[in-house]
Amino acid sequence: MNGYADQLLRVDLSNGKVTKEEISEELKRDFLGGRGFAVKLLWDEVKQVEPLSEKNKIVFSTGPLTGQPLPSAGKMVIASKSPLTGGYGDGNIGTMAAVHLKRAGYDVLVVEGKSQKPAYLLIENEKVTIVPAPELWGKNTFETEDILQGKHGKNSGTLTIGPGGEKQVRFATVMSQKGRAGGRPGMGAVMGSKNLKAIVVKGTGTISSADPNKVRELGKKGYDEIKAKESYDFWIRQGTMQALDFCNENGCLPTYNYREGVFEHSKKMDGSFLEKVKADRKGCPLCNMQCGNIIEDSAGLRSELDYENVGMLGPNIGMKDLRQVAFLNRMADEWGLDTISLGSSIGFLMEASEKGLIPEKVAWGDFEAAQKLIVDIGRGEGLGKLVFNGVRAASETIGKGSHRWAMQVKGLEISAYNCHACPGMALSFGTSPIGAHHKDAWIISWEIATDRFSYGKEKVEKLIELQRLRGGFFESATVCRLPWIEVGFGLQRYPEYMEAVTGTPCRMEDFYRLGDRIYNLMRAYWKREIPQFGRKWDYPPDRWFEEPQAQGKVKGVKLDREKYEQMLSWYYELRGWDENGIPKKETLEKTGLKDVSKELVARNG
Amino acid sequence: MAELKFLGYLADKAGSRNQEVLLEKPKRLRDLLPSAFPENDIIILINQKVGNLDSLIQNEDAVVLMPMISGG
Repeated sequence: MNGYADQLLRVDLSNGKVTKEEISEELKRDFLGGRGFAVKLLWDEVKQVEPLSEKNKIVFSTGPLTGQPLPSAGKMVIASKSPLTGGYGDGNIGTMAAVHLKRAGYDVLVVEGKSQKPAYLLIENEKVTIVPAPELWGKNTFETEDILQGKHGKNSGTLTIGPGGEKQVRFATVMSQKGRAGGRPGMGAVMGSKNLKAIVVKGTGTISSADPNKVRELGKKGYDEIKAKESYDFWIRQGTMQALDFCNENGCLPTYNYREGVFEHSKKMDGSFLEKVKADRKGCPLCNMQCGNIIEDSAGLRSELDYENVGMLGPNIGMKDLRQVAFLNRMADEWGLDTISLGSSIGFLMEASEKGLIPEKVAWGDFEAAQKLIVDIGRGEGLGKLVFNGVRAASETIGKGSHRWAMQVKGLEISAYNCHACPGMALSFGTSPIGAHHKDAWIISWEIATDRFSYGKEKVEKLIELQRLRGGFFESATVCRLPWIEVGFGLQRYPEYMEAVTGTPCRMEDFYRLGDRIYNLMRAYWKREIPQFGRKWDYPPDRWFEEPQAQGKVKGVKLDREKYEQMLSWYYELRGWDENGIPKKETLEKTGLKDVSKELVARNG
Repeated sequence: MAELKFLGYLADKAGSRNQEVLLEKPKRLRDLLPSAFPENDIIILINQKVGNLDSLIQNEDAVVLMPMISGG
């Protein structure tokens, strides 16, 4: 298949060994790239290891569409065994590092081992160097990017961690381009555990495809089609920030640690307000619908905002000033901390304080306290120690029923949607393969447009369809899903892109099969790494089942546990998993994972 | 009066985020909207229940029209 560099680059930081391995036709055919490659590599190579030990590996993986002149194709997936959840962890990131990696001649980079001292990895086409970097240790991600670009030039791609990753905060992310983040379940902590401060990639080669002229022609048409969409102009003005108004209207805005779904100060931070203070926008490579909204924060610095970080560092912790939210967001980016988990952690501490479960006073909406908490979390000091390992661990520490409102699934904090009255989205969070995240399936609009209070099987079917496409195809191709889902760019374009790039006929059904194979393997990974893993890992927190919202249009509504159980059983049935949520032998075999089935049986019986 | 609320880019299409309309008799929703108003991939709630462009609107109805956003 074309569209690949056909090489995997492997760097062992323990002994400095660099190897280049051919990527097989079977791997490309069966796992496509990105997430597909990552989970296959982790299944084969990372077994029963401590996530922050040198035996863990971190995978930086592109797909056949990455770097092609096609809409929003500047993405890669970063994956590892997660130190936050103990299971499969990954995240995608838009970065020039993805494009440069392919230009340098590699589809995948695998980093293993541990450097004795802080270092960064420099990849210049064939030449790969582990560069000592004691002077970078302790620098924030913005400073690190500036230093490395000053040294290696702006025509490069850079991935960095901040002090949070160095300290191995379990929800530390990998950052790029001063605002792009990826790898929510602690991929930054894994880099930190390896003393790997950054990766700089400079590639000067050509990214291949089966029919370059056709790819260019399709790309041009695609960009034009996106710009002609009815909602394009509005998207350029607000981007994902339009979701704040939508969520507030529909009672699903995370507010006061997900107690409520509406926020009394939402008009001071919604998309319309943003438009008034917006200074600029930025985005990922190869994208013509950039979603990064730049505003001047409360300290006069430029900060990039999108819905998730505003939702979690705004209403969820009671902050009512968008410029202050922007400042907190910039701090999170500098420290290299995931804004969703950070907002959830701060919200958890504020609620614990309100309930008198901790002696410290941390009030809702206290800007000074929130800043101090970010520093404390990043350093693992003071109150920050309590949430250093995420809210699941924090609730286990303080007990007293706090697990009921520790807003996480599988150990990963829930992204910015309150699901008291969105059962389909609750199931999406429950079954997301990395823990509670929205990237695999976001079904709220569909729920509201049909019947939001339904727990019907059709909702489960829709959820799986979205997971196959968003979590299977887009995460593996590897391209951004936003043109399709946000401005209505034609999904049918993607088989055309795949054919022109790979030279292999492609149909939409192929994406579904691919998605099912990848989902089965991710699920098998969780089971192999956590023997007791099963159904009880697939539930949202008790708060959504037990405490109805007190305000807004869905006042009084909460999730129905019995009906959720039924949806979950349907989900397993449709996926071919048993009642405990483990893929059946025949399901694994049917999706080409016979060896996986044998290994699971050998380990778990 | 019927209240119409428009979210997202639909407010651009309607010309405002909120409108109040006095109706002498029930009217189809589409007849209260500009002729070029989008018909696909939109959510219509009338008094919090799912409606459509042909739903009859009367005074006191609260109508919300939203784009099918996809949560990033």
